[in-house]
Amino acid sequence: MRDKLRKWREDNHRNSEQIVDVAEELINEHASKLGDDIWIIYEQVMIAALDCSRDDLAWTCLQELKKQFPGSQRVKRLGGMRLEALEKYEEAGKQYDSILQEDPTNTAARKRKISILKAQGKNTDAIRELNEYLELFVGDQEAWHELSDLYINEHDYGKAAFCLEELMMTNPHNHLYCEQYAEVKYTQGGLENLELSRKYFAQALKLNNRNMRALFGLYMSASHIAASPKVNAAVKKANVKYAAWAANQINRAYQLAGRGTKENKCSVKAVEEMLESMQITMS
Amino acid sequence: MGEVELSCLAYVKMYLHACLFPRCSVNGLLLSSSPAGGAVCVTDCVPLLHSHLPLAPITQLALTQVDVWCAQTQQRIVGYYQANACVSDCSPTPCALKIADKIAEQCNNAVLLMIDGGKMSPDYRVPPIVMYERKDSRWTLKDKHTIMLRQWEETREIAGQLLDSGDHSLLVDFDSHLDDITRDWTNQKLNAKIAELASPANV
Repeated sequence: MRDKLRKWREDNHRNSEQIVDVAEELINEHASKLGDDIWIIYEQVMIAALDCSRDDLAWTCLQELKKQFPGSQRVKRLGGMRLEALEKYEEAGKQYDSILQEDPTNTAARKRKISILKAQGKNTDAIRELNEYLELFVGDQEAWHELSDLYINEHDYGKAAFCLEELMMTNPHNHLYCEQYAEVKYTQGGLENLELSRKYFAQALKLNNRNMRALFGLYMSASHIAASPKVNAAVKKANVKYAAWAANQINRAYQLAGRGTKENKCSVKAVEEMLESMQITMS
Repeated sequence: MGEVELSCLAYVKMYLHACLFPRCSVNGLLLSSSPAGGAVCVTDCVPLLHSHLPLAPITQLALTQVDVWCAQTQQRIVGYYQANACVSDCSPTPCALKIADKIAEQCNNAVLLMIDGGKMSPDYRVPPIVMYERKDSRWTLKDKHTIMLRQWEETREIAGQLLDSGDHSLLVDFDSHLDDITRDWTNQKLNAKIAELASPANV
């Protein structure tokens, strides 16, 4: 049980309902056996409880932590998060401001303030604050990713691409960033962006050859380039080849997936037909 | 414009989709197995995405695949639904309008449905949905009286039951399918469960 909680903590899983289920029993029955682990478990459980609107449980955890660590900024931040969960944004903001007065480098408090803006739907403000934050804390991966998500929701694909480029630079082996970057480029459209998107879908596949989004992305970007009237014969030929390869891989993956399960016969058939119909439009 | 009927199956799956991903915006397509002309009967839905809704490639892919599946199963895409992550704002986003426009090109009485997250508490009396129809090239609010949900009480019951029993985790949207292609985005299993609960024997 303890190990499960630790694993979820380390992997940063947001499986709040599960944590709450496990935790109540753990805390009530086995508190004495947990030793010093109990404090970090209280923190983990409290955040999960807030996520599930279990203010009763969150309050209990917060009280225990306050007793043990009076005056702690980390606990103060948790108090702020509880206020956020109750939608008392102004009070929460004041809580974080007081943390920042004592310690202006406290990144957690700054990020919570930005989360408040996001929760209130003030996306442009959140973007502005997050940009300011990143000027000071340029290595914060989580922040770069959050910013790229915010830009995508505002349809500012150029800036989203910039954020993803930062992430790819510092995480060259992460196939998900490559694939997301490719999706943004594809969405931006235009021949140059399509070619870039195809390259990054291919890169994502090199890093993880089971990334279906990247495989489909490669197929679609190559098909669109091949079908474009602006490309010369050589480029067209090359892209037809890439698309055909991707289609092949997709078919194989679906055949493998379809074996033995009646369940997804519909999806398998749909993919087959789709690939066939796209072939026709390409040639 | 005309009447729109929303079936139990379509409503329950949409609702469960929104419940399965409470922290994300989700979207999906509304389907009809009735012939074109007359009232629009939404008989089913396909949940699509729960991440990066505005990005094009996966949306295009999903639209194409659902199109193909519809042709194979004598259904048509008649609308689009979306539930925003931010519960205080259930107005259609630019990407919702864009996709709905595309659907309207093929189906001239297409509907755009927004799920109102703020009204989804367990004791809600009315369906937490807002529907739009296309009038003069713009999406305008539809008159509530032209939207029908037969057997609303039963539908609400079924949705609640599935949520309580945890069966909403059976729902597979297109995003989840791409994470694991052995999972079926046509949701045959869940459809069967819903049909079972909706059958006269259980009511």
